[in-house]
Amino acid sequence: MADVESAVKEAVVEALALDDDEVTPDSTLMDDLGAESIDLLDILFRIQKSTGVKIEASDLGDYIQGGIPDDEFSDDNQIITAKGAEQLHKVMPQTDPSELEGKLNADEVITLFTVQNLVEMVKTRTSAAV
Amino acid sequence: MGIKLQDRVALVTGASRGIGRAIAEGLAREGAAVAVNYRSSEAQAQEVVDAITSEGGRAVAIGGDVSEYAQAQVAVAQTIEQLGGLHIVVNNAGIAKDSLVYNMDPTEWLDVMKVNFGGTFNCTKSALEQFMSQREGVIVNISSVMGERGWTGESNYAASKGAINAFTRCCAVEFARFGIRVNAVLPGFAPTDMVAGLMEKDGGKGISKQIPLKQFATVDEVASTAVFLAGPDASHMTGALLTVDGGVSAQVGVGKPL
Repeated sequence: MADVESAVKEAVVEALALDDDEVTPDSTLMDDLGAESIDLLDILFRIQKSTGVKIEASDLGDYIQGGIPDDEFSDDNQIITAKGAEQLHKVMPQTDPSELEGKLNADEVITLFTVQNLVEMVKTRTSAAV
Repeated sequence: MGIKLQDRVALVTGASRGIGRAIAEGLAREGAAVAVNYRSSEAQAQEVVDAITSEGGRAVAIGGDVSEYAQAQVAVAQTIEQLGGLHIVVNNAGIAKDSLVYNMDPTEWLDVMKVNFGGTFNCTKSALEQFMSQREGVIVNISSVMGERGWTGESNYAASKGAINAFTRCCAVEFARFGIRVNAVLPGFAPTDMVAGLMEKDGGKGISKQIPLKQFATVDEVASTAVFLAGPDASHMTGALLTVDGGVSAQVGVGKPL
């Protein structure tokens, strides 16, 4: 199996038609690199082909939310709770819970997801599969 | 036997007769293994399989009403299981329930839409996982010039084919990055069971004299275009709607001097 870091990077570079040096581990897929939903789908299928790890687009949200029920992850106005922010920090260590809690809309969570976050996600699936 | 589709597996819906049968046999002649899908004509589907295997080809008959999504999924899964892969889907299954709009029962547009467009949607979606995973696939939709032009009594059929044409273009754009090509064949008039009613009155002369080439298409003339689109010679074609209509849609009226 291909090394996960390079497999993810290659998938991102090819799906988004970017140059190698435009994609860094801390680039956010959507905001920095401009990925749309079809790009994410393309990236996930490319990763599946090179690593054998199958990730559905819907898995991304589930992974980020970590099994926390919607009504505990965000409040009635879809704003992230303290518990939600803490979970986000687990899967996206670059985030600061104090900056997200009570501020970030749940729909925007995915915009914080970086190339490195995706690498870590693929690795969890790899070890789970072994 | 040709070799352009060697090691390729194709699923042709509605392939027990008419244009579908000709396409199944045409693909097999180019070396493809073919799943001959049928809804109710099992014996005829088996005849097509026998005809293909007797010429040294590989084919299986696979039942299923593609207007039902679950059955389309099963047909795709069985094709992959029995023939070892899937590279080509030809969405051919179609029905007609011609009627004047004034007389048309509202169920008649939905019935036609469900088979013609629904079957195309269902099989396309069912094949996507396989096609996107292998980053290779070809879809050929059998549409009609009616999808781009009008004709008395054809409103529901034409609308269903117009839907297929629009769907073909959108799918072509969406799937291109995954290495999947999507095109459509738009036949004019070909004498099959589906249009038998049009031939009843005068052997179809009223129609054939309005065709610039003055004759109906044979099913093989339609099939050869579908086989071309399915194969490597069409490798840069996607989102194309190819008319095979003897010139029908090129003209204004019947084209006689005013």
